[in-house]
Amino acid sequence: MDSNIENNNKKPILEAINLSKRYEDNALALDNVSFTIHPGEIFAMLGGNGAGKTTTINLFLNLIEPTSGDCKIDGVSCVSKPLEAKKKVAYVSENVMLYPDFTAMQNLDFFIKLGGRMNLSKDEYKSVLKRVGLQEDAFNKKLKGFSKGMRQKCGIAISILKDAPAILLDEPTSGLDPKAGAEFVNLLKELKKEGKAILMSTHDIFRAKDVADTIGIMNKGQLVMKKKQSEIHNEDLEQLYIKYMAGYMENAA
Amino acid sequence: MFKVMLKKEILQIISSNKFAISFAVCSILILLTFFVGANSYLLSRDQYEAAVQENIRGMDGITDWRMINHRIFLPPQPLAALVNGISNDIGRNINMEGMGELRAHDSKYNEDPIYAAFRFLDLNFIFQIILSLFAVLLLYNAINGEKELGTLRLTFSNSVSRSQYILSKIVGSFSAIIIPLLIPIAIGFILLPLMGVPMTSTDWISLLGIIFSGVLYFSVFLTLSIFISASTAKSSTSFLVLLIVWIASVIVIPRASILISGRLVDVPSVDEINSKKSHYMRQISGETLSAMGNFKPTSNNDIMREFNEFMDEINTERDEKVTKFNSQVNQERRNAQMEQEKLALNLSRVSPASSFYLISSSFAGTSMELEKNYHEQAKAYQKVFADFQREKEGMTTGGGMMFIVRKAGVEENPIDPSELPEFVFKPPSLESRINSALPDLGILFVYNFIFFLVGYVKFLKFDLR
Amino acid sequence: MLKLIVIKELKNIIQSPKFTATFTTLSVLLLLSFYIGINEYKYSLEQYNTATLLANDRVKDTRSWMGVSYSTYREPKPLQYLVGGINNDIGRYSTIVHSDEVKLRNSAYSDDPLFALFRNIDFSSIAMIVFSLFAILFSYNAINGEKEEGTLKLIFSNSVPRAKYIIGKIVGSWLGLVVPLLIPILLGLLLLLINNIYLNGTEWLSLVSLIFISIVYLTFFIALGTLVSSVTKSSVASFMILLVLWIVTVFIIPRVGVMSAAQMVEVPTISQIESQQDAYSKDRWQIYMDELSDKWEKRRAAMAGMTDEEKEAYEDDMSYAWMEEDDKARKQVEKDIADYNQKLNEDYVKRKIVLEQLALNFSRISPASLFQLAAMNLATSDIELKHRYEESMREYKNRFMDFAEKKQEESGESGMFTIKMSSDGGFKLNDGRQEGGLDVSELPKYVSPKQNYASLLNSIILDSVLLIIYSVICFGIAFAAFLRFDVR
Repeated sequence: MDSNIENNNKKPILEAINLSKRYEDNALALDNVSFTIHPGEIFAMLGGNGAGKTTTINLFLNLIEPTSGDCKIDGVSCVSKPLEAKKKVAYVSENVMLYPDFTAMQNLDFFIKLGGRMNLSKDEYKSVLKRVGLQEDAFNKKLKGFSKGMRQKCGIAISILKDAPAILLDEPTSGLDPKAGAEFVNLLKELKKEGKAILMSTHDIFRAKDVADTIGIMNKGQLVMKKKQSEIHNEDLEQLYIKYMAGYMENAA
Repeated sequence: MFKVMLKKEILQIISSNKFAISFAVCSILILLTFFVGANSYLLSRDQYEAAVQENIRGMDGITDWRMINHRIFLPPQPLAALVNGISNDIGRNINMEGMGELRAHDSKYNEDPIYAAFRFLDLNFIFQIILSLFAVLLLYNAINGEKELGTLRLTFSNSVSRSQYILSKIVGSFSAIIIPLLIPIAIGFILLPLMGVPMTSTDWISLLGIIFSGVLYFSVFLTLSIFISASTAKSSTSFLVLLIVWIASVIVIPRASILISGRLVDVPSVDEINSKKSHYMRQISGETLSAMGNFKPTSNNDIMREFNEFMDEINTERDEKVTKFNSQVNQERRNAQMEQEKLALNLSRVSPASSFYLISSSFAGTSMELEKNYHEQAKAYQKVFADFQREKEGMTTGGGMMFIVRKAGVEENPIDPSELPEFVFKPPSLESRINSALPDLGILFVYNFIFFLVGYVKFLKFDLR
Repeated sequence: MLKLIVIKELKNIIQSPKFTATFTTLSVLLLLSFYIGINEYKYSLEQYNTATLLANDRVKDTRSWMGVSYSTYREPKPLQYLVGGINNDIGRYSTIVHSDEVKLRNSAYSDDPLFALFRNIDFSSIAMIVFSLFAILFSYNAINGEKEEGTLKLIFSNSVPRAKYIIGKIVGSWLGLVVPLLIPILLGLLLLLINNIYLNGTEWLSLVSLIFISIVYLTFFIALGTLVSSVTKSSVASFMILLVLWIVTVFIIPRVGVMSAAQMVEVPTISQIESQQDAYSKDRWQIYMDELSDKWEKRRAAMAGMTDEEKEAYEDDMSYAWMEEDDKARKQVEKDIADYNQKLNEDYVKRKIVLEQLALNFSRISPASLFQLAAMNLATSDIELKHRYEESMREYKNRFMDFAEKKQEESGESGMFTIKMSSDGGFKLNDGRQEGGLDVSELPKYVSPKQNYASLLNSIILDSVLLIIYSVICFGIAFAAFLRFDVR
């Protein structure tokens, strides 16, 4: 509770303000979505395939332009000043695919410099790689031999090293084994302590409940539910999820 | 930031197996081409020298300059071995006579049909076919491949502008691909003098011109690949599109456009021309024959010399008529040919491969001009040769009828073959080579520029998701 | 089971967008090659017909059978325009004249270098370059691609024997590539018929064999693709390897083979040979002239002391005998020279054959060369084409010369060009020619060398058998490699 009060006093890092996106084929991918994420807060978006989770992330990354509304990172609009905004965000994709012919270190080096941190030492790279749980003998191996989990770890390492106030995670735990998944949750909690604002899309209801401060459920481009973790503490999230999805269906019908 | 991306681009290309294999293959082929080219130049130079000597040796013991069977040959050029052009297709040997039309015979391919069947390995071929294919192979997925890989999203989750990205992509891949290629080429350059190929400064500069245009042509395919890769969503699609474009521009367009447009313009066949000429010749030799009856010697001293001079006068007069007629007929054919050539070449220029071919053969001195050049120089030499014969014997050969009279019992002095004026073929000057290469160089520049620009614009609108 | 696999493979190929794109391209190219071939053939035939007519006209124009000159042309054959071979590179005609050796001159390319610039686009070059690329494009990931997609594992989770799978795979992909290809080829044949291109029985057989050989060639590359795909892990790697192999077999080995052979065997150039021949003939004529001068000196000596009238009477008496005697000597000279030339030519041809055999054997490592050699042999545009024609033209020249001599005798004219010159009488010319032209109706006809199908078959047997062996070996290795393939 205390942390929430504290957060409310600070200005939000990630803001979605009436975001809508209609594609050229007239499909409404995102329908008037709004939310804010404060420092030290994790917002988990749940929803089926095509619910609009990735579209939201794409809008924050300015990979597409919104039809209406705005999104801001640390107060900077992603629509009008995308380059400025993107300095303040790190991103981990669902299926991290880095350059297969580069080693882990080379990939890290490139993406971190791209993130604007030019003067990090090799040791700092290594310590973060260790922190995310990559074995040391893999540091200088080419990525093409890596498993999905190992690549995911590299992706997370990149986002940590960028040290941006906001982090966007697109299905970060898909494909991780239970042990790695648990490690990742711990890592998220550490990042949260560091005061990062984290937007995470996921299918993983249980883990979301475990780690998120706020949980949103998306369906057909709408944010159909948004509740604080404390509010749903005693509820069965799975039932809630199914209920909201079904409810939406009824509404739609 | 730009530097970081540039470095990554270079590193990415250089560390791929694809690059390692293509670089190795290209290096071997380039070196092989230089080696084989130098060797075949040396071989044909030996053959040329042997032929020249044999020609002189054949004159031994002959007592009359009009009885020599003199031939001139097109000397092999070092660059022609590296860029064949049409040098193997045109006749190289000319039977020299003081008058009449000169005809070059024995093209390399006619003499050695086996080469015609399999062709030669030359720089033009390596650049035109092999390097362009590797360019496509290396960059067909430059943009959409990164999208498939997911790195494009990751890259653009940073504060990177699109134009910065595409520029670093182009500059980076260019430097990563082109600079290494210069190594085997440089070794090839060194190989030439090492193997004893005499290169003049014109040759060197022309060779540089060939390499430069080769790189320019190569980069057309690089920019094209980036352009196509930025216009298609899937790398397998862009590869197929590029492969089809490659087949069309390297194999189909140059050939088809020449064949088709060549047939659009009607050029009278050589046989028709020859037949017209020989008909006229026959008609006019009747006149000569009757004119000969009018010979009246003025004195008894050197009646033969007097007769020769008389004949030479008739022959010259006849030759003038024949030449006039022939050149008129030739001109007709030549004009039609020029028109045909112009149309065909312009059509073929749709393909950068043709433009590159035209540039490299201009630089090597093996373009269509070679035939004209050789013919003109042979004609100039013919005058020299005719004057030489006239000076020695009072008349020249090739005018038709000729009388060689030997006085019984008189031992005549054999001729000294070393007195014969030598035929020296002058390859085109550097300036003329550059001039004829310029328009096509311009075309290649334009291709580069257009593909670059379109690729750039396409990427600005590229769907990054 | 096998049928199921074959059908799946067929569908897999034919339904892919890759197939639509490449198949369309290939069809367009094949039809283009037929279209251009037919047009080029028609054009050359027209040229040939005019040229032969003009050659006859020239003989008609001539006023004496003595020293008559004629030209024999190579008749264009339709298949030579589907498989260009060396057809455009070697001379189109030879002059048939007493004083000159038979020699094909004026190749189509040397007459019009424009067409030599980028060479021909004929059926064989399309087949050689594009068929092979096409085959590689569809077989490079035959095995490892299925592994990457995960379908291989799924297939072998059923009770499918490996041998059956690989056979089904090969048969399916072969059918999927070859059968569609037959469509544009058959359309091409239809084009031949529509354009009224006449082919005789042998030519039809050759054409069918040509198509057969091209399919064997395509099969080889399918086999090679399958082979490489079953010995490499990733499809990217197998594609690179295949592309390099393709470049090496199609472009490099044929050329390098021939060029390295040339640098091993020394063959004098034609100009060297001709200079030697010239030198000999000069020498020989010089000797003849010397003898002639001696003879005249003797003849004049015999007339010494005669009065002018006696001299004239004596000369009139003797002139025919003298002419006969001189003519005999002259013929001997010509024969000597011809023999000498023949000897040099034979020697030259022998050395050349050694070179050619060596070069061909080098290049036979490459299936592309095998295909090209077989195709050229079938279309009679092979390397021996020049030799064959020169041989037959030489034979024709003998017939022609005999005929001309006979005609000359019949005409009763001496045909000799005589000049009498004396200090007071000036010049008297007698060109010994009749007024008006010659009758060419009985002129012996030149017929191109005929090749029957048996001899053609003979000439392609080695290359086609080798090509088949290569394909079988590739399939064999692919088969064996797949039995051990790591399906995981």
